[in-house]
Amino acid sequence: MRLIAIIFLLLFIAAGVVFGALNADLASFDLGFAQLSLPKGGAMLSAVLLGWILGGVTAWLGTSLGHRRRRRRERKVESTTTA
Amino acid sequence: MNPIWLLALVPPVAFACGWWLARRSHVKRSGARVNELSSDYFRGLNYLLNEEQDKALEVFLRLAEYNRDTVETHLALGNLFRKRGEVDRAIRLHQHLVSRQGLSDEMKTVALLELGEDYMRAGLLDRAETLFSDLVAMDALAPSALRHLIAIYQHEREWHKAIDHARRLEAMTGEDESAMIAQFYCELAEQSRQHGARTEARDYVRDAFACQENCVRAHMIAGRLSSEDGELEQAIASYEAAIAADIAFVPEILPPLLNCYARSGQMDRAEAFLREIMERYHGISPVLALTRLYEGRDGERTAIDFLTGQLRKRPSVRGLMALIDATMDKVSGEARENYLILRDLTRKLLEGQAMYRCSRCGFGAKAHHWQCPSCKSWGTVRPIHGVANE
Repeated sequence: MRLIAIIFLLLFIAAGVVFGALNADLASFDLGFAQLSLPKGGAMLSAVLLGWILGGVTAWLGTSLGHRRRRRRERKVESTTTA
Repeated sequence: MNPIWLLALVPPVAFACGWWLARRSHVKRSGARVNELSSDYFRGLNYLLNEEQDKALEVFLRLAEYNRDTVETHLALGNLFRKRGEVDRAIRLHQHLVSRQGLSDEMKTVALLELGEDYMRAGLLDRAETLFSDLVAMDALAPSALRHLIAIYQHEREWHKAIDHARRLEAMTGEDESAMIAQFYCELAEQSRQHGARTEARDYVRDAFACQENCVRAHMIAGRLSSEDGELEQAIASYEAAIAADIAFVPEILPPLLNCYARSGQMDRAEAFLREIMERYHGISPVLALTRLYEGRDGERTAIDFLTGQLRKRPSVRGLMALIDATMDKVSGEARENYLILRDLTRKLLEGQAMYRCSRCGFGAKAHHWQCPSCKSWGTVRPIHGVANE
């Protein structure tokens, strides 16, 4: 299973490199406060990477904050019953 | 559609992928923790089964710290604390469980029942009574609560309340509690007899018979009441009925019965009855009673001959002691000294012996108890049959 995952990962990296090489010409981006000129492939891969990281962070925050909230509520009940 | 717009979908898809992967890894991690928890749980259970309560306590405490949602673990922990005598900790734990928000009604009821048991163990019977009464009123786990309430009323000797609750338990579960209720009526009869309320005592005896037709104890109380009122025929009939109901109680019944025979001058009837009993009962009590009877009526020689003959058939330390006592006057010098040593030895042997044993929990006692002091069962303490006992 792990070997298959590594092969897939390598395939995707190779596809990314190929995609970057094929789209090496610059594209300019106007962000309002700054203007950027990035290779088209690089910009595309950066957007994918950023979206993936943001998704992960959102999921992690959602579960850990919920867990913390529940712990805080239980501690409160405990302190009122022991007081 | 311009394919360039399809590229706009790539970042949201990447976002969704990242979100899904993070969630999946979280679920996997918590799953691993659940596995760890359940293995801990079984380890704790194993310690419990092996009577290693200290180790079990350690494991369960850790388990409860890991996961505050495991109500069963808390309950097990509370039970352990109570069994170890740390009742205050058990009470705190169960109180915490009861006050916890979001607990299901079913679990809350179990926790309340456990809390009641903690109170009982701590001797706070009034609090336990209130709690169990509430549970019965709520119709939640009512049979268990009723059983605890009956135990409390027995402890406080409130027999009327005990009878009421036993009847409710009978109606609720369909189990036959008539033997226990008969014992409660017998307790009431004894109380009334001691206070001189003889009519009331007889009424309670009647109630006991209504619950259990062949209640040995009720027959015995009826016999005692009749004997004290001078109704000797009635008393003899009651005592004989008690033996017919349960022959195991012969050692308890014979002394008052023989007293009634003697007072009414019916020693021949006593002899016939004892001989008949000896056929069915293999203890030493009827033999000793007959020996005393022969000694008074036919002389010492006949009594000793009878006793030695019987001792060959049913060897008994009590019988041997009676034989030594009977023949002591006939010996002198060194033989007498030896007899004295033998008598002391047999007395010491008997001193350390339990004469009665509870057939349910094995509790041994020197005197007879209608309710076992250990397991609180009624009518289970019976004479032990053996060389050094009955």
